[in-house]
Amino acid sequence: MEKIIALAFTAFIAENIILSQFLGICPFLGVSKKRSNALGMGFAVLFVMLISSMVTWVLYKYVLEVLEIEYMRTIVFIIVIASLVQMVETFIKKVSPPLYKALGIYLPLITTNCAVLGVAILNISKGHSFVEMVVYTTFIGLGFIFVMYIFSMIREKLDNAPVPKAFQGIPIALIVAAILAIIFSRFGGIF
Amino acid sequence: MNSGLKSGLVLLVLGIVCGTLLALVNSFTAPVIAEIEEAAQYDALKEFYYDIEDPNYENFVITSDYDIDKLEINEDGVEGIFVIKDKGSDIIDSLGYLVYANGYSGDAPVLMLIIVEEDMDVIGYKVVSHKETTGFGADIVDNDFNVSSLIDLSGFDGVAGTTLTSNAILECFNIVAGRAGDDFGGGLDD
Amino acid sequence: MTNKENLLKGLVKENPLFVSVLGMCPSLAVSTSLENALGMGMGVLFVLVMSNLIISLIMSNEKLAALVKPVRIPVYIVVIATLVTIVEMVMHAFLISLYNSLGVFIPLIVVNCIILGRAEAFASSNKPLDSVLDGIGMALGFTAAIAIIAIFREFLGKGTITVWGNLVINLKGAFTFIGIEPIGMFVQPAGAFLSFGLILAAVVAIGNKRKEKLAKGAAK
Repeated sequence: MEKIIALAFTAFIAENIILSQFLGICPFLGVSKKRSNALGMGFAVLFVMLISSMVTWVLYKYVLEVLEIEYMRTIVFIIVIASLVQMVETFIKKVSPPLYKALGIYLPLITTNCAVLGVAILNISKGHSFVEMVVYTTFIGLGFIFVMYIFSMIREKLDNAPVPKAFQGIPIALIVAAILAIIFSRFGGIF
Repeated sequence: MNSGLKSGLVLLVLGIVCGTLLALVNSFTAPVIAEIEEAAQYDALKEFYYDIEDPNYENFVITSDYDIDKLEINEDGVEGIFVIKDKGSDIIDSLGYLVYANGYSGDAPVLMLIIVEEDMDVIGYKVVSHKETTGFGADIVDNDFNVSSLIDLSGFDGVAGTTLTSNAILECFNIVAGRAGDDFGGGLDD
Repeated sequence: MTNKENLLKGLVKENPLFVSVLGMCPSLAVSTSLENALGMGMGVLFVLVMSNLIISLIMSNEKLAALVKPVRIPVYIVVIATLVTIVEMVMHAFLISLYNSLGVFIPLIVVNCIILGRAEAFASSNKPLDSVLDGIGMALGFTAAIAIIAIFREFLGKGTITVWGNLVINLKGAFTFIGIEPIGMFVQPAGAFLSFGLILAAVVAIGNKRKEKLAKGAAK
């Protein structure tokens, strides 16, 4: 149990996917100008990440490893993610139109979001068991949402701040991210 | 022909072509990769036994002062054991354990070489390979884990911020502590 | 466009990292040393040139293009993923230390927006030769950009510049001269964001100056 808690904490803060692993930077900078968008994107990523990690984990352990074709990993994973995103989109559209309205526009962007493929691969290369994989992925996803939310609040305020011309937009956002990264890295030593 | 079927066929053909290509490249690189991994294990051992000269990785290494055998074990986290004997003697001088914790061989977060003597004194240990995120990697490899004997591991010192890898390394020491006594007592004879 | 323009536009005018701000994840992650940046650049160069070539060969053949068109994105992805896997296997076998330090970012070249972006925006509608030149230019522009960030970070963070393997330029003297230690934060994750932000602001400032100059010139 202690191990699982340590894993969850590490995934959530110390190895935060955005601020220490540099995955999912594109949505982090692109869709974080408003709180509502940041949350929408965050939940869409968590959802797709969790499903695709489960599917790819099972495929890797029970198909690729059994057939000894581990080198097909990247191809198989990216195809799985691309088709899952398609299916999730169609499914949500049919079952829950309000949810589709909230998440729909973010879904196509997720295929090329390196966070999803990255976490699927990390779950394999870190040798996680199924339970560890689910915990790790969930908390990585929650960490993503958490940072997106904090960051979007700061950026909303930043709109009214007197930022030098050359720093407007992405440069100042990166410098804010640097400050957040310093704060997050300090939590690393707790566990 | 139905257009959906056609598209499916295009993807299938492409998939087969790509798969074959990768299998071909893999057949060239896989042996090289296996050799590198084995070489890394011997390199780790070299740090503690300086007189190992250019070991021929396929055969056992015979150096001026020691006879070294590598036993492939692959059970309970132990991938292999280097059995190090004084030249010409049957008495085991020390055992070098290649040990991993959590996960599968090759996928595990860390592979350690731990060399112990019969009285459970640790001669040396080295992180052979690890999966720690860039930035923490060097900290793990260079860290002094403060272990000098397997009898008491309470002084173990991990690296802050790498809880999981540090735990795995402690587990490696525990695995070795759990079996070294038996191995020295003749457990390796069969 | 001439061949020369195709090749050179990726370096400055349409630089994928500094102008289009694509491919951020790997450039933040692997810019801890110049060696890593160059290694990443080599990987991207190979994948981008080959994928541009293969895709433009497929799409410039009318029969093949008609077959592929409805499923072109999946086709691109499979082609790119195959090339990336080849890079991964070759690096693992022959450049083990680079393979270890780039880690998960080698397979992640697959989702590097630059590569899929060039396939869709350029290679699918241009001749093979043009596509190859475009790929070389874009990859070199990307490499140059991460190399700049890497030199900045490694120099400030460690006082050294690791060009390749054992070829390390030691500039610690500069720090001793002003009496401080290298600032370790720059090689940590926070330093990646900070360095990229500062360099990007500098690039924007230079661009703005030039635009002003041009505008003034036009007004006269």
